[in-house]
Amino acid sequence: MTRRAIKGTALVGWGVLIAATQLVAGQSGTTAPAPAPVTATRSSTHWAYQPVVRPDVPVVKKQAWVRTPIDAFVLAKLEEKELTPSPDADRATLIRRSTLDVLGLIPSPEEVKAFVEDKSPDAYERLVDRLLASPKYGERQARRWLDLARYADSTGFEGDRTRPNMWRYRDYVVSAFNHDKPYDQFVKEQIAGDELAPESQESLIATGFLAGYPDNYNSRDLVQRKYQITTDMTDTVGSVFLAQTFACARCHNHKFDRISQKEYFQIQSFFANTAEVSDIKATVGPQELVFQKTQHQWEEATKEVRARREALVAPIKAEIVKYQKERYLTDSRDAIFKPRDQWTAQDRWVNHRWQSVTKGSDYEVDRYLRETTQLELEETGHTNETKVALREQYRKLGEELSKFNSLRPATGSDTITAMSELGHPDAPPTYLLFVGNHERPLDEVQPGFPAAIANGAAPQIVPTATTSGRRTALANWIASAENPLTARVYVNRVWAQYFGRGIVESVSNFGRAGRAPSHPALLDYLADRFVRDGWSPKKLHREILLSSVYRQSSEYREDVAKADPQNTFLATFPRIRLDAEQIRDSLLVASGTLVDKVGGPSVFAQVPEGLNAGNLWQASKNAEDHHRRSLYIFTRRSVPYPMLETFNMASSQEVHSQRVVTTTPMQALTLYNSDQVFEWSQALAGRVIREAGASESSQLDRLYEILYARTPDKTEKATLLSFLDSHAKVIREKGKDGKLSIALPTGVPSWDARNPLRDAAFVDLVHTVANSNDFAYRF
Amino acid sequence: MTYRPSRRELLLNTAAGIGGVTLSQLLPGGGLLSAPLLAAAPGEDLLAPKAPHFPAKAKSVIWLHQYGAPSSLDLYDYKPDLVRLTGQEVPASFMKGIKTSTQGGVGKLYSSKRTWKQYGQSGAWFSDLLPNLAEQADKLAFIKASKTIGATHDISVLKLNTGDLNPGRPSLGAWVHYALGSANPDLPAYVVLYSGRREPEAGSVNWNAGFLPAVYQGIAFRPGPSPILNVDRQKLMSDAQQRDSLDLLKRLNQLRAARRPDDSELRARIDSYDLAYRMESSAPEAVDVTKESAATKSLYGLDDEPSRDYGTVLLRARRLVERNVRFVHVVTGNVDVDGDNQDWDAHQELEKNHSANAKAVDKPIAGLLADLQARGLLDTTLVVWTSEFGRTSYGQSGNGRDHNPWGYTQWMAGGGVKAASTFGQTDEIGLQSVGKAVDTYDLHATVLNQLGLDHLKLTFQNNGRSERPTVVYGEVVKELLA
Repeated sequence: MTRRAIKGTALVGWGVLIAATQLVAGQSGTTAPAPAPVTATRSSTHWAYQPVVRPDVPVVKKQAWVRTPIDAFVLAKLEEKELTPSPDADRATLIRRSTLDVLGLIPSPEEVKAFVEDKSPDAYERLVDRLLASPKYGERQARRWLDLARYADSTGFEGDRTRPNMWRYRDYVVSAFNHDKPYDQFVKEQIAGDELAPESQESLIATGFLAGYPDNYNSRDLVQRKYQITTDMTDTVGSVFLAQTFACARCHNHKFDRISQKEYFQIQSFFANTAEVSDIKATVGPQELVFQKTQHQWEEATKEVRARREALVAPIKAEIVKYQKERYLTDSRDAIFKPRDQWTAQDRWVNHRWQSVTKGSDYEVDRYLRETTQLELEETGHTNETKVALREQYRKLGEELSKFNSLRPATGSDTITAMSELGHPDAPPTYLLFVGNHERPLDEVQPGFPAAIANGAAPQIVPTATTSGRRTALANWIASAENPLTARVYVNRVWAQYFGRGIVESVSNFGRAGRAPSHPALLDYLADRFVRDGWSPKKLHREILLSSVYRQSSEYREDVAKADPQNTFLATFPRIRLDAEQIRDSLLVASGTLVDKVGGPSVFAQVPEGLNAGNLWQASKNAEDHHRRSLYIFTRRSVPYPMLETFNMASSQEVHSQRVVTTTPMQALTLYNSDQVFEWSQALAGRVIREAGASESSQLDRLYEILYARTPDKTEKATLLSFLDSHAKVIREKGKDGKLSIALPTGVPSWDARNPLRDAAFVDLVHTVANSNDFAYRF
Repeated sequence: MTYRPSRRELLLNTAAGIGGVTLSQLLPGGGLLSAPLLAAAPGEDLLAPKAPHFPAKAKSVIWLHQYGAPSSLDLYDYKPDLVRLTGQEVPASFMKGIKTSTQGGVGKLYSSKRTWKQYGQSGAWFSDLLPNLAEQADKLAFIKASKTIGATHDISVLKLNTGDLNPGRPSLGAWVHYALGSANPDLPAYVVLYSGRREPEAGSVNWNAGFLPAVYQGIAFRPGPSPILNVDRQKLMSDAQQRDSLDLLKRLNQLRAARRPDDSELRARIDSYDLAYRMESSAPEAVDVTKESAATKSLYGLDDEPSRDYGTVLLRARRLVERNVRFVHVVTGNVDVDGDNQDWDAHQELEKNHSANAKAVDKPIAGLLADLQARGLLDTTLVVWTSEFGRTSYGQSGNGRDHNPWGYTQWMAGGGVKAASTFGQTDEIGLQSVGKAVDTYDLHATVLNQLGLDHLKLTFQNNGRSERPTVVYGEVVKELLA
């Protein structure tokens, strides 16, 4: 990547940018002539587009340190920089680190003890294998994948409606990781599961990856909506699997990468015939049975009211539908008023869309009656009393119906959401759009891969009777061993999970504007090995976890701080603050309140008082739901879960590539003042008393073992004990007026012979220790 | 008009910033954002105050989003021709180039039922819905040719706040926070206030930080004495008890931090608990309007039921600005219209709707402007009346109006804008902008300009892509500046 190359492409960019300004001017009355699209150069020397070649494992001086080839690659660079690697971390640090990294939770003191005392030579290997075999591994890996998939349980935008089926996709991802589904298959199912195995519910659910786009059911412009949905799918696929910023080429030829605007729309055209279907009946299992039973009860209870309501508007149904259709803008209206036998492929999509977003909308009936009554009044001077009465009756029946709302299932579903081509192989045409404006189509384009990346590969599109086969062609190309990006991108993401940054730091940008790899040979070694290992994510994790690089101590080293302040070359292990889910889930584990249940509909956990989210967040009445892993908390796009959001959880609006760490007073307020965390501290205090017995010294040991996987040193213990003495007095001060309310440990079997003031002081101590840096970081 | 020299010059001037990766990562004021932003970015550095690109006129912004889209034609944009043509079909010439819905009967022009008068030296027109604001006429700079994209609130509200039709981009306030940092460590620099009973629709996507670090997102201050979630200490914990515990926390953290002398992130986390402790009192104090005089309360309409809610919110806004909060993002909530909760979105019964909504905001906004001036804050505070779009000149459902993204009125006041001025106009019936129009991008560029920020130079490297607040658009509206 030379400076010259950047300047060259930047010039093209500026030209087009000025054209964009012209368009803005054009919209306000004058028309700017559309310049012919510039075709990008066809060859590329950019590193990421070259085939992966297995590199030789370098020869290093300090051979004894090398446990896996990974170590040789890292050590070779260190020796080049005249740095030495750090020794292995101590056992306790290592098990806390790896358990947090692989499972997302702190280890139990028993697990720590067993590992620390295990003198067998393969103790660590067995630890790693145990971790990778735990179902919690899948939960942890799934969370990071869902970040990329911009996963949510709701549509976003103003209405932010619940998507009742999306948890199935989340569970699919958990299960894929736990069963170590080969990554190439994982990719194919998510892009084209409906085409590849339409009979398999699992494959259909996998396409929830595409179906997770933020959506606006209220849109009056269905044609624009199609374009926005297609854009989302294209950009998401490009970013997640290929680490390409295709989005930049939507409005102009890519400024940095050799992707032309034409090529961008060629990629979009793979999705041209793709539509979301959300009413596929799911195979009935226990969850579905419960859902159906509840749903059935509601249906039975409301049968009569609903029938009366329907009968009320049956005579004017057609008018209401027509009135509702008039809500849409010009070109959408053309399509939805067109008789079915005249539909084009595009009309088919628009009509499907219209049907799926207007299903059963009571609001439209009321709106129709209210607005047309008013219109008539304005025109004739008379109020249509029949309509007024009808509206009132309809409204009353609606009120009656809503009395049964509590009978409806609060979560869950018996249906699947999947992408589909609606049973038709013919796709609507895709056009190159002038500055990305869907109202300014230029030439039609056909599906194709960007030449710079494809190395001559061309799509092999085989339509079937029911589908265009386009996404299958795209998926096959992305998931092929020859694709220069797919394996590199994935191994780099996994590497970044463990070391806080990727070998390519810009994990979702392998283009020219992204970062160059710090260890190019290592990246290729991992990518090549990954493919040879049958695209097995678990083998990849295992190899990284077993490396000496991963086992290094994170202790401060002045020489490293000086020579490599960013720790790019990994002469020490990087300490990292726990992410949002690790913090919450580990507090649940520590307090002994984690409900350890895999999968199922998302839950509405407790929220702080004053959140004011109305119906969008009604905390579950089932206490179990408040203690599930964070992965299972409902993702409401407009109401991010406050505790997690504060600690930099992923945004569900678009692909979230990397968890950034920020440090804010809001985090401190959350951990110190929230009722939830304080309750967990009370439970943890109770647990410590139960498990450690009466000795305060043992209690402090136990507390530290639970939270930090170590015992307090002398200074710490002295500090803590003296705090208990002084703090009990501070608490007593509160009761000067004769009344004293205190917070006590919970779950302590007997209160006889206990000192409540000292117990209250102990709760504060536990709460404080849970707020410390040693808990919030993994070292 | 396809070629504008001033525009081109601006673009070319920044070419150097885009070409070199290092340069484009420079923050305003010359600070270098620690490139990885992955692990080693201590909070205190991200929030440190930073100098603007050039001397600023305004220090703070109060962004008055009128949610639901008020009708300019019933508030500011007086159109005698619309009165003349009322009841008639819209002449085809006026509809050129726009896509409409036909629901509710497009076609019949619908004139305002209000009475109109000119006010102040400027002679600006106001309808009788805003009698108090009208008295402040000479403080306002009207933008009478606003335009945007979209037919529904969802996408246009997003565009108004973030510059995109899809969620995910940083809001204007987040850009400001990122550019200027915080001028008061005891309060968030970007605060969201709202009236009404619940958080605004679509929620935090409209004040989020997008791809900027999350520290720059707006913090929603909720109604009541405890504005921030978890700002109150535990009910059973006394102040002394908490302070004593926090001292222990500091001690424990420092014992361990000694092993890592270079670790500024760990130090920042230690400090964050001191900041949080201070915020426990500074945040409630900042919004405590009980300390205000009766006259001030009355000025904001707190003694009048319909305006009490929004008046309280705006009085809080002033208190926040006094405390150097950079960006106060205020969203109007629903008001009671004949027992029904409604925002400005008057598809029917506009008269009732707008009477109630105008009554809720008129006195508070007028009071805010007068109060800011009296306290010498108006010069350094930019007040922006804004909405996602306006409403159509043709009626809907007989007595309402549909959404109009083609021509509507917004205004600015204070903060170095040209008082008593009007820029731009709509056509004779008030449907579309005529001549130079002001898009949301231009509004953003202008707001940033008043804060001393060049919207073309305010960039952030997102995944290798240089992003700016105005995407690839935007032009400072010089005509609005003093």
